[in-house]
Amino acid sequence: MPYHEFECSKCIPERKKHAVIKGPGEDLTSALPQGYLSTIPGSISERGCAYCGAKHVIGTPMKDVIHLSHGPIGCTYDTWQTKRYISDNDNFQIKNTFATDMKEKHIIFGAEKLLKQTIIEAFKAFPAIKRMSIYQTCASALIGDDINAIAAEVMEEMPEVDIFVCNSPGFAGPSQSGGHHKINIAWLNQKVGTVEPKITSPYVINYVGEYNIQGDQHVMMDYFKRMGIQVLSTFTGNGSYDELRGMHRAHLNVLECARSAEYICNELKKRYGIPRLDIDAFGFTTLAEGLRKIGMFFGIEDRAQAIIDEETARWKPELDWYKERLRGKKVCLWPGGSKLWHWANVVHEEFGVDVVSVYTKFGHQGDMEKGISRCQEGALAIDDPNELEGLEAMDMLKPDIIFTGKRPGEVAKKVRVPYLNAHAYHNGPWKGWEGWVRFARDIYNGIYSPIHQLALLDISKDEIPTDKGFETQRMLSDRDLSEDITASTVLHQYSGKYDCLAELSGKTYPRFETDLAHAV
Amino acid sequence: MDMKEKIEQLVDYIMKNCLWQFHSRAWDRKDQNAGVLTKATQILCGEAVELETPTDRCFWVDAVCLAEAYKSRYPWLAAMSKEEIKQIMQGLHERMDYLTITGSLNLELTDQHY
Repeated sequence: MPYHEFECSKCIPERKKHAVIKGPGEDLTSALPQGYLSTIPGSISERGCAYCGAKHVIGTPMKDVIHLSHGPIGCTYDTWQTKRYISDNDNFQIKNTFATDMKEKHIIFGAEKLLKQTIIEAFKAFPAIKRMSIYQTCASALIGDDINAIAAEVMEEMPEVDIFVCNSPGFAGPSQSGGHHKINIAWLNQKVGTVEPKITSPYVINYVGEYNIQGDQHVMMDYFKRMGIQVLSTFTGNGSYDELRGMHRAHLNVLECARSAEYICNELKKRYGIPRLDIDAFGFTTLAEGLRKIGMFFGIEDRAQAIIDEETARWKPELDWYKERLRGKKVCLWPGGSKLWHWANVVHEEFGVDVVSVYTKFGHQGDMEKGISRCQEGALAIDDPNELEGLEAMDMLKPDIIFTGKRPGEVAKKVRVPYLNAHAYHNGPWKGWEGWVRFARDIYNGIYSPIHQLALLDISKDEIPTDKGFETQRMLSDRDLSEDITASTVLHQYSGKYDCLAELSGKTYPRFETDLAHAV
Repeated sequence: MDMKEKIEQLVDYIMKNCLWQFHSRAWDRKDQNAGVLTKATQILCGEAVELETPTDRCFWVDAVCLAEAYKSRYPWLAAMSKEEIKQIMQGLHERMDYLTITGSLNLELTDQHY
């Protein structure tokens, strides 16, 4: 096994089995790190907890819901501005954060009374909202508060409201991934099948594992609507509580982030016979294939093909403009879970960059199987890295840019490596044809920022050139390109709008009359 | 190029571009590999494909995309007889089962629950 031992982690020998380098001729039976294990004491991990995974990743993107943490107020940290899962109801779930604010006295005397008061107070403060999710935390789990009983009591007293209880305290798993699992199964057990949805098309899907980061879901919904597909629910970005109760009536589950949401797809297949189709919506060719497959499944491939042709023709010259300028740049692909495999191959194929390392904070071995398969030979794969390992890897690999979260990203900046926010994006959405060009633009801006070039100089030891004036991005990026490319009249930079979602909100879609007759 | 090298090319395409082979449990992976690769073989050989159930259709859409990619990327496939295609696809199936199931180092494959 080609394990890689970090110098900085020699004092934690268990870490050795969490990193591998994919060497020549090696495959998954010889190169796979351990994964989804408890973080080794002494390793300062970048993970989140199981409560975070349940609430902040999967629960809270649901838009028409009061999301209440039953615990100390500090547990609600990852809310204001730190998540970018927008919604079309004025971002209610981002703007408002709710907690019972448990104190020490509640630990001693119990907090069920406090919980009930808070639930009622929250519903009264926001009378238009009739749905609530309550999230257990470490504190309320350890004192044994019966959240389900309190929720049932309130629902009896206030029959117009409905409450979902997610018992996923922080310690209920090695990472946030434990919380993804728990909330998937809890939602399915408690809520799916409790509402009968109105079916308006013969082509009905659940769009699963999509969190509407900076509007990704809006972009994908546009394609589905253009194909005449009814999206019964989105699990969970911009998703509606009651729509998600009707997931059992879909004909197909279209799955994106398998790491966070394959559990509910698997169970929907087992319990309701709804098949699971995995797609990649990042990238031109991958998204095209995803839409084609959905189209073929329903026998409406021509509708998918029309979108593919139109979007590719519109955006390909812009993608290629960036590809010419990004070719051969070294990238560390260090996201949380699924993006390491969503992006590993397509960024190489379509942006021309070389992925020199992949890591996952909370992924399982299954994610590493996909990621290692898709990245290039020689790439360093790390499971649950710590900050020192990240620094050592950057020193060893000398990447031009890394795609990661904001905490390790800020660390990278200190060693003069630019980063893009892989979780919440810089200037998203990044899904869809236009979104993929926006991602390319963000990479270009990151690598060729003139300010970044200045940061590469260390005034304490480097010679500071005095014969050079101000440099622009184009001067930096076009320096070694041929005139065919720099003077091309076909290739051009991103020409979309600052807010590329605005036009989608009032858009009208074709009515497929024959479809209406066959809706079941 | 010998048979083994050809199979490795076919494996490489799946590993770089597909997701259906990496479902989370061993029994799912067995079903997925069999479902998609059987249908892809039928498509490549010009045989009828069964599309009775939604699950069949799901396998079929992945199989269509795979067969198209193989045809466009590997010209040596067009020179093969039906029997040779079946033989190479059988070899591919066995290799995929080994890489994703029987030889896999993924410790979660045998978990009894999702």
